[in-house]
Amino acid sequence: MTALDSILPTAAPGAKAPGAAGSGRRRTFLLGAVLPVGLAIGWEILVQIGLAEGRLLPPPSRIGATLLELLQGGELFAHIGATLWRVGTGFLLGSVAGLVIGAAAGYSRLVRDIIDPSIQGLRAIPSLAWVPLFILWLGIFEESKIALIAIGVFFPVYLGVSAAVLSVDRKIVEVGRIFRFNGRKLISRILVPAILPNVVVALRTGLGLGWMFVVAAEIMGASQGLGYLLVDGQQLGKPDQIVAAILVFAVIGKITDALIIVVSTPFLRWQDNYERIG
Amino acid sequence: MLAIRHLSKTYPNGTAALRDFSLEVSGGQAVAIVGGSGCGKSTLLRLIAGLEQPTEGSVQVGGEAIAEPHPAVGLVFQEPRLLPWLTVADNIALGLDDIAPAERVHRVQEALRSVGLASQGERWPRELSGGMAQRVALARALVARPSVLLLDEPFSALDALTRSGLQDHLVALWEETKPTLVLVTHDIEEALVVADRIIILRPRPGQIDAVIDARLPRPRDRDSAQFEDIKKDLRIALDHSFRHQVEAAE
Repeated sequence: MTALDSILPTAAPGAKAPGAAGSGRRRTFLLGAVLPVGLAIGWEILVQIGLAEGRLLPPPSRIGATLLELLQGGELFAHIGATLWRVGTGFLLGSVAGLVIGAAAGYSRLVRDIIDPSIQGLRAIPSLAWVPLFILWLGIFEESKIALIAIGVFFPVYLGVSAAVLSVDRKIVEVGRIFRFNGRKLISRILVPAILPNVVVALRTGLGLGWMFVVAAEIMGASQGLGYLLVDGQQLGKPDQIVAAILVFAVIGKITDALIIVVSTPFLRWQDNYERIG
Repeated sequence: MLAIRHLSKTYPNGTAALRDFSLEVSGGQAVAIVGGSGCGKSTLLRLIAGLEQPTEGSVQVGGEAIAEPHPAVGLVFQEPRLLPWLTVADNIALGLDDIAPAERVHRVQEALRSVGLASQGERWPRELSGGMAQRVALARALVARPSVLLLDEPFSALDALTRSGLQDHLVALWEETKPTLVLVTHDIEEALVVADRIIILRPRPGQIDAVIDARLPRPRDRDSAQFEDIKKDLRIALDHSFRHQVEAAE
């Protein structure tokens, strides 16, 4: 026993890593920020000293002023709310359908053989091609927009989840069998944790597409929403409003993506550890 | 007691992995099964563990027929196969699913201590070395106190030093509770360190070629003359078995 003990490392590998990795990450962040911040400041200076006009591409100060104006009127929150509601509802519908159908197709050969060819066929259609049909079926208001977003979310989630279930290591499943895990236990104790990392990736991809499609849906006709701000800015010749809306899209898109990460992190701690060491 | 009677396994594609294999191992005995690759030794273990169904014949543990994984039979695979999302302690607790939580914590601690990893329970499998991970796998198989312990080339992926350390450790653990032990290996020395009886398997289809008695006093000294003698016998028997195969192939 003592001989074996001496083989053991005395401290966990990577125990010192977080601090070092933290400062390295900060450095990478600063390096990455140099280019966009530098360009913004440069552009601001050029416009301020009159070397550039900045009418079609407004300088940061004017975009900031526009944002402030939209904020103060309370208008911005109404637009954000409308867009968030569409993305949220569409994402919920699309991801739940993608999770359920994807899991079924990954788990059961029969289900896969029946539905996968059709889904792959439908996937070949560019999602925006559905728009006229959705408008005919569901009208020009919320329903058709949400349907489009749900479609956009569904495919990556379906693909990611079914592939994740299919790629679960047979050797790990066998461990479950050795400990006599039956159907439901095998799913909850082995399959679900095994596919979770890939499911999170699939949901993030789905959400990204949801944001893409909400822009398309709102550009095609809406009286409210961030996409409406884009169209309105174009029609009234207000590039500062367009850029402001784009910025808001970026920030909120990033926040919702981070939300998925935050929610899933406690369940994927075992993986984080691996990344830190590797 | 483990009783294997006329066990045969032919896969649907026609490959005969095992033919008419019979073996009795009394309680507390340790048997090693040695043979080259493809001799059906892994298939044999999978059949005993109930992971596969035999084409013919039966496996009985303590008089009870094994048709599917059974709590009395523990299995250690070639790889640790720890669930990466469970801590070391939770991996070991997999074998104790039906036991009250308080008792479970106690048993897991005991198992961790027995494999020399008492303070490592909260670590993730990814953080372990190969030898440590395999010790966790051993603890996971032993924590339920099986009456039959099956080991499928358990140390073959480890370096020589770790391997011989773990072989000795396995013997020490086995002597504590003395389950019936079946070790599949291609390492002659490993078979001799662990087993009382060594069975040489001949491939395609797997069948018994020779049985060698290896009842040496424990703990076994790898450098003793007796050990060397039996090792030589075993090597000759294996050579003979291989030559036989080559002739048969020609």
